[in-house]
Amino acid sequence: MAVPRSRVLDLLKVQCRIFNTTYNPQALRMGTRILHERLKGDAVAEYYPPRIGTIKQLRLLYPDYEVRDEKEDEWLEHMQIARSRGKAPPKKKRTAAESKKFTKKR
Amino acid sequence: MSQFRSKVLDIGCFANIRNIRDHTKRKVFAANEPERQALRYIIRNTTLPQRVRAQAQLQLAQMHCYTRFTQIKNRCIMGGKGRGILSDFRMGRYQFRMNALAGNLPGVKKASW
Repeated sequence: MAVPRSRVLDLLKVQCRIFNTTYNPQALRMGTRILHERLKGDAVAEYYPPRIGTIKQLRLLYPDYEVRDEKEDEWLEHMQIARSRGKAPPKKKRTAAESKKFTKKR
Repeated sequence: MSQFRSKVLDIGCFANIRNIRDHTKRKVFAANEPERQALRYIIRNTTLPQRVRAQAQLQLAQMHCYTRFTQIKNRCIMGGKGRGILSDFRMGRYQFRMNALAGNLPGVKKASW
């Protein structure tokens, strides 16, 4: 037995309401396929494992504790020795006037 | 493009410039994915005026190449290799073999029959 088209369309409408899809009996290209795609950005961005347990993170997490960084301590000690010998790097120039690079020596 | 790269190292695995670059691309892609999908929707929707769709096409074409998914490549997290990656384990085939034989990969067993 042939079913009238209007009944089929009614059925389609109900189907769309139930399954939360767009009612589009003319099958126009509406691009809803793209809206239905899941966003994969978060999963893609998690590919490489994050860097955890660095001294900076530990200090942020436990501000009450003193976290020693052996490398930093070593560097500070080295800098102190260099400074006492007058071999430390010069202070950073903040302005063009301070910088001697563009002033002619004569 | 270094304008997207994080100023401090933020991956905990094997880090060479190619791995860091790929990680940067992944982050940029994740940040721009909704915008790209919205533009793609406008382009594919034939019920919208042609002018709007053409503008969306231009806008999508002018987005940075790092926002594109095709820029992303799976790389080995143990050795940085770009080819022969088993994506389930995120490792190159040799690293996978070494780690599997060492028992570092749960559930992986050498076949024997």
